[in-house]
Amino acid sequence: MAVGRTDMVHDYRMVPEDFVKHLLGTLVIVVALVLLVSALFSVPEAPPLTIRGYARTQPVAFEQMALRALDGQGRIADYGPPYNHGTGSLQSPMQAAVGILHPINAATDFILKPLTMAAVINPALIKPLATFRHASAAQQAKWETAYSTALAKGVYRHGRVVVAGTGYGPLPSLMNATLALGRSGLMSGALTRNGAVVTRFNNQNYLLFLQGDPLHDKAAPLQLLGEQWGIIHPAVPGYPGAWWMTIPTWIYQWPFVAQSPAADAMALSLGFGVWLILALTPWIPGWNRVPRYLGLYRLIWKNYYQDQASEEGSSQTAGNKVGPMVGSQ
Amino acid sequence: MANWTQTSKELLGPVMSVETWLPTEMPEYAQGFMYMLGSLTASSFVACVGSGIVLAMNGAASWSYNDAMRFVAATHFWSVQAFFFFMMLHLWRVFFTGAWRGGRGMTWVLGAIAFLVAVPTAFTGFLINGDLYSQWNAVQAKDGINALGLGWVNLSNAGQMFGMHVVVMPLILTVIIGAHITLVRLKSVVPPYPTGRDAAEPTPVGKGGR
Repeated sequence: MAVGRTDMVHDYRMVPEDFVKHLLGTLVIVVALVLLVSALFSVPEAPPLTIRGYARTQPVAFEQMALRALDGQGRIADYGPPYNHGTGSLQSPMQAAVGILHPINAATDFILKPLTMAAVINPALIKPLATFRHASAAQQAKWETAYSTALAKGVYRHGRVVVAGTGYGPLPSLMNATLALGRSGLMSGALTRNGAVVTRFNNQNYLLFLQGDPLHDKAAPLQLLGEQWGIIHPAVPGYPGAWWMTIPTWIYQWPFVAQSPAADAMALSLGFGVWLILALTPWIPGWNRVPRYLGLYRLIWKNYYQDQASEEGSSQTAGNKVGPMVGSQ
Repeated sequence: MANWTQTSKELLGPVMSVETWLPTEMPEYAQGFMYMLGSLTASSFVACVGSGIVLAMNGAASWSYNDAMRFVAATHFWSVQAFFFFMMLHLWRVFFTGAWRGGRGMTWVLGAIAFLVAVPTAFTGFLINGDLYSQWNAVQAKDGINALGLGWVNLSNAGQMFGMHVVVMPLILTVIIGAHITLVRLKSVVPPYPTGRDAAEPTPVGKGGR
């Protein structure tokens, strides 16, 4: 095989090719494959966790979740940018620099506003709402702490969660009204309301209201949690998920990443680093020679090398008789 | 001052030439299944766009109340799977054949960028589907997006994600894939490594050529 002092051959032939047929051929293959697999397996769609569904199946946990939004113990209440000034989920200076882009006051937006709307059709709510609003922060906290403790032993009975004892102020009324709103299905409308427009594209508060235990309890059996390599798992077992995210998902499992309070920032940055190595492969000394040393190219170009070897062989045989042949292009 | 039109003509001449795009011959080493993987990836992208257009015309949630649209949603889902599947096989093929040699580094980089951009393109699609997978990922992935200082990207805003998935990301991806394929056509596919005695003194990357 005649080559220059380069890392690639130069003596190859051009052979006839019907490029349009090639392209249409691959398109037909893909379309046929996709239609067949779609007909056989349809599409994985797992029913979402709705507020109504959660309020109906887990009334006590629902009130606990609602109370966490009200007393500031929920994840969104103390999240930080871009939702509010909390620090609970602040992972990096970049996150802080962004500021408050999608403001959320969990107590007001998730609980008090929906209840204020509900009070229009249920005037019995007006008084407990006023009592709560006019109480001092210390008094509100006292009620919330006491009711939170009591809820742990709360029992659902006839549409309400009943707790033992007293000293919870207006909270039993307010939380049971929130439960009723949730069970009715009207809570989602209250959370996504935007009085300025008639469209409802932004369902941020609906989704974030259920963040925490409700979604985690639903996700865990499906192996969707981060520590379960959840990024690459589908919500319907047996179907493929986003398997192309395997490397960042693996990075999430590294102990120093998993245990870091800035796990997301760290995992995604490291994942980007891996991609950067891939993208810059041509210019990374040593790494750009790896395929040469691995030798798998010998399999990929097996036919070419065989043809070249047999041509060289016949060329030499012929050369013994009639002299060297002129190589191809 | 140079004539911009003349310069554009000179630059775009080879790019827009039918000789570039409709070749009637190929190098003898670029044959067989291994050399279909790029086309299969591009074909899968066409299938993604085609099924995506039908979905966009009918609404992202139409699969939930219409059986025909559920089937279209299935074709979109499997087209995406095919796209990444063939892209991975293509990536392995081009890696194991050192496809960046001979001044083809930018072709490689554009392919890598296409892969990077394809990930959020697919992800934003998952987010507007409206099922548990959408719900879970919108809530979970926001922490990573926020941590990277990309808080303006609100994963739980279905309207924003619809625009991202249907217009912004596919447009960017189409341009990158287009540039990648253009370079493949202009520079052709990399010739094989030399073997045996010919392979004694390979030159550094980027110095080789046809």
